[in-house]
Order: sequence, then C-alpha cells, then structure tokens
Amino acid sequence: MKLVRLGCVLWGSLLLAGSPEQDANVNTRYTVESVELSGDKPADISTGLRSELVRMVGEKLNPSALDDLARRIRRELHVRAVSHRVLRGQTPEHVRVVFDVRGRPARFEASVPKFLYGSQSGFSGAVEGTATVGSRAWTIGLVSDGDELLERYTGVVARLEDTLASNRVRLRFQFASYREQWDSQTIDAVNRGPAAPSSALYGTRQDLEPVATFLLARPLTLSVGASFERLQPLSPATRTEMANAIISTLHYHRHLEGEDANQQDWDAAYNLRAATSLLASDFAYVRHLGEVRYVYSWGRSEISDTVNVGLLTGRAPLFERFVAGNGSLLRGWNKFELDPLGGSRLVHNSVAYRYGKVEVFYDSGALWDPGQTAVIRHSLGIGIRQNGLCVALAFPVREGHIEPVFMVGMNY
Amino acid sequence: MARAKAVEISRRRWLLAGLALSLSRARAALRLDVTWEGDDLCVNLPQLHFLTGKPLERLHDGATVVFLTQLTLTTDNFSTAMRRAPERFAFSYDLWEETFAVTKLGPASRTIAHLSSAAAEAWCVENLAISASGLAPDRPFWLRFELRAAEPRDEAAVIGDAGINLTRLVEIFSRRPRDQQPHWSAEAGPLRLGDLKRISGRAARNL
Repeated sequence: MKLVRLGCVLWGSLLLAGSPEQDANVNTRYTVESVELSGDKPADISTGLRSELVRMVGEKLNPSALDDLARRIRRELHVRAVSHRVLRGQTPEHVRVVFDVRGRPARFEASVPKFLYGSQSGFSGAVEGTATVGSRAWTIGLVSDGDELLERYTGVVARLEDTLASNRVRLRFQFASYREQWDSQTIDAVNRGPAAPSSALYGTRQDLEPVATFLLARPLTLSVGASFERLQPLSPATRTEMANAIISTLHYHRHLEGEDANQQDWDAAYNLRAATSLLASDFAYVRHLGEVRYVYSWGRSEISDTVNVGLLTGRAPLFERFVAGNGSLLRGWNKFELDPLGGSRLVHNSVAYRYGKVEVFYDSGALWDPGQTAVIRHSLGIGIRQNGLCVALAFPVREGHIEPVFMVGMNY
Repeated sequence: MARAKAVEISRRRWLLAGLALSLSRARAALRLDVTWEGDDLCVNLPQLHFLTGKPLERLHDGATVVFLTQLTLTTDNFSTAMRRAPERFAFSYDLWEETFAVTKLGPASRTIAHLSSAAAEAWCVENLAISASGLAPDRPFWLRFELRAAEPRDEAAVIGDAGINLTRLVEIFSRRPRDQQPHWSAEAGPLRLGDLKRISGRAARNL
C-alpha cells in the first residue's frame, strides 16, 4: 500500500512538474490578481478556456501554465501569436497577467500535411485548405500517395471538424474519394495467389469517416468512430464491396523536462479497426496497431526509439494490410520486394540518433502472414533533418549488393 | 563669421568622422581577464552588460530569460577545442522588488536573488570556470567566452505535426526579418598558466 501511495505521489509530481527554467522565476511567489486578454478578437475564446484563465486568479503565478494557455489560445483563435506579460497588481504581492493576441484570426489556411519523394516510390504529397467559421473548420484537399499503402491512391479529401464541451470533445466528419493505381508486382501476386480473388484489386475507393475524440485526461485522448469504405473492383464483372469498420484510437503523449535541460517525450497509441457484418460489411476483420515512441534529447543530441506492432485477422481489403519498405518502416527496402501483398503481422523497431541536423537511423522489422516464417530485415540510413524536413539515404542491409535509396520529405 | 565656420563641414570631414566612429566601435571589443583559481580557469568581463534590449524587456514582462554561456579552451588558437564548458542561467525580474534573480541550471543548481542588473550579470560571470587540468604551465593557450540569450519558443512555427503551414510561411516572408538574438563573445590569449597568479580555493565564488 505504501508503495502504491509513493507511486501515486511520484506520478502526480511528474504530471505537475514544470520546467526548471520556469520554476526559477522569482515571481512564482506572487498571487495572480487578474487575467486579461488584449489585442485582436480576444472575446472569441471558448467558455472553457476562459474559465481556465479565471481559475488562475487567486493562485500563485505558474509561468509554465501561462505558456500552455498562450499556445491553446493561439490554436483556438487561429492567430499568428499569443504572448503573455506579467505586471504588478493593484495590491502588494499580487500580479496581473495579460495575454496579447497578435494577428487577425486566420479564416483560411493552406498547408502541406505530407510531402515525400523516394527514388523507389516517386512523389507523394497532399495539399489542404482549411476555412474556419466559428469553432468549425472546413477542409478540402488533394492527395496523391504512393508511399503509405500498397497502391498509389490519388483523390480528394473533404473534412468538417468541430469542438464541443470546452475543447474536451472534437468531432470530425471526413469524406475521401480515391482512384487507385497498382504496381505490376502486386497485380501478379494477386493473380497468382489462390487465396486472393481477382476482386482484391479495386479501381476506386470512397471513404466516409465520422469520428469523435474525447480528451480523457490532458495527455490521454480516445477517438471512436466508424469507417464506411466503398470499393469498386477493377474487374467489371465483380460487384462493389463495402468494408465498414468500427474504429478506435487511444493516444497518450507526455513531455518531460529534466533538471539538466534534457527533455523526454513519450508517445503511445493503440489503433483498432474492426469490420463486421453488423455494419453491412462484405469484409470481416480485426486490425490492431500499436506504436510506442520515446525521444530523449540533451544539448544538441537526440535519441529516439519507435516500436510498431500490428496484427490483422480475418478477410481484409488490401488497404488494411501492413506495409514495410516505405518512408516510415524499413526505410530503404522495396515494399514490393518484401511482400507485394503486404502482411497481416508486423513487428518493427527504429532507433535514430541526431546531433544537430545530422541524423543516423537503424530500422529492423518483419512482415509476414500466418504459416510463413518471420524474417527480420534491417536497414541503415543517414540524413540531414531540420524542422521536420529531412533528406536521407537509406541502405537495406542484405548480402550481395548495396542499393541506397534517396528520400527527401517532411515528417517521415 | 565664426557661425559660418561652425556649420561648414566638408564631405572629407564627414568621411573621417565615420571612419573614426567605426574604429572606436572595433576597439570596444570586450576585455576578457583570466585568473587561475585552484584547478580552474575563471574569467572576468568588466565591460560586459547583457541585460539590455529585448531580453530585458522580456524580463520586465515577468518572463524567465535563459542565457547560454560557453568557455572554450584551446592550445592552437581555436583551430581545435581542447575543452568546452557550457552553462545555462535562468534570469527573472522581481516585479515588486525591482531586483533580479539568477539560477544556475544543471545538476548543481544554485540561485541568488535581490540583485541589481550589474550584480546579476557579475554573478553569472563569476560562476563560470573551465578546468585547466592537463595544461602544462609553459604551454600557450587561448580562451574564448560566448554568451547569448536562448531563443524564445517560436509559437508560430511553420512546420509542425500537421505539415507545412503555407499561410504562415507567406506571413513570415511578408514581414521584416526577426532580430537576431543578441550575443556577446570575447577572447584572450596566448596565455600561459605559468604567467598567471594562482589563487588557491574557490570559496569566494561558491555563493
């Protein structure tokens, strides 16, 4: 029991811990007298965020909390920047906090959520435009991705997002329509395999996905929803099939700063997709995917480790099968050489060390199906990374010859 | 007549005045005094005043400003670094007392408060040292001091988890380039341990 209590105290202290820089601020001994918002459109913040600002009044000044609130105000108002000032209060030993909101709320934002060029997979990219009206964000985008899945999917994405209950619930309704292009190796494998019917290849895919995300506790979120996928087979003789699944994701993120300016980031996610005939699905399968990522940084150095584990059971369409040998997993390998139909079992680990802008990484993993032997493969790489942009050369480790793969892109 | 002489400044005189001004600025480089205390080399920078400008504004706004310092010891006039000693200091400004507090961050964290700006700057410099172990008394060496204010977190990042924000990119290219964070540096050398008077103990520095 004592150990449990001690554990609770330690965990609580970790959750409440601020950065050592902010703890060193001499004004933390003063009491917050008032919190004000100034600048452009400060009145538009949600009631929940406003009540959090009000809750600071009467408490001791917490500079870490001010940074966090400034970030949240900026995100909510979609403005360029939010800074904060602390001023003397009316009464001694009290201070006033002022958040300065700068820049008009961006009613329209354009972004590039993905960009990647690989010497094997070619260009993959997405462009999106988001219009914000009140708490609702309307997004429309174009995508062409030959990296993530077995097929290259090209099409349009439309999305509506809204927040409720003081940002504790986020609703997302997404529609996507893609045209699929298949590699000849995948087509050959489908035609050869007795288990894979010719209807496995689809020419178009439409996806309707309503999802609600709940903020359970600040670092922990749960998303639940459904995915209705309509697959139009390449063969005209075959009928349209539906892959309708319940989807859920549990996500945890924690950022810790140590005394010696070291920083740690923990990211863990578990994703479940379960298709069932109850949702009028022609496919019935369960897909589990777990990912844990740990990053430790000190000075100009950073070391990270990412573990992925996947399991797929039942009859699933090809877009649900796991793929390695792309821009994320077993970088440098050719995904069609590993398995032109993907796998239903996945284990992968990636270790990366970065000093300044130079990064080296080592990927290892296996992709297989039941009845097959899991073969662990390895790849090594070196690159230059700056603010999410990366240029890298990846080398699959195998006997015989060395065939490096060149990659340039973002967030991979 | 005298008045007419006073306003008549030729183009050559303007050029000379400009040259003199630039030379006087070049001469105003920071002086770095080095002392040998125990096994460490310590520094003194009497002309250094870094609590100015933007960092001082942020301090007056109640923020914590982190200054990063580094001493570099070299025996080949900075071709290669023999040893480096980086440190981090968190400064804050007491809004009611109107005095400064400084915390030396790291495993042996130390804090001092109720200081004037000059005293806070001096305390920061007094807490810098680099080991002189392995340095022969007659071997020439050079020492470099560097100090800069840490970048405040860029809240309007262009690249994030959601990719490149094109709208923000356009905004950034449309406005004036952001001022560089202020930085200071000074060098001393060639010096020899044998020429420095060795002071035993560091009690005075360990406040």
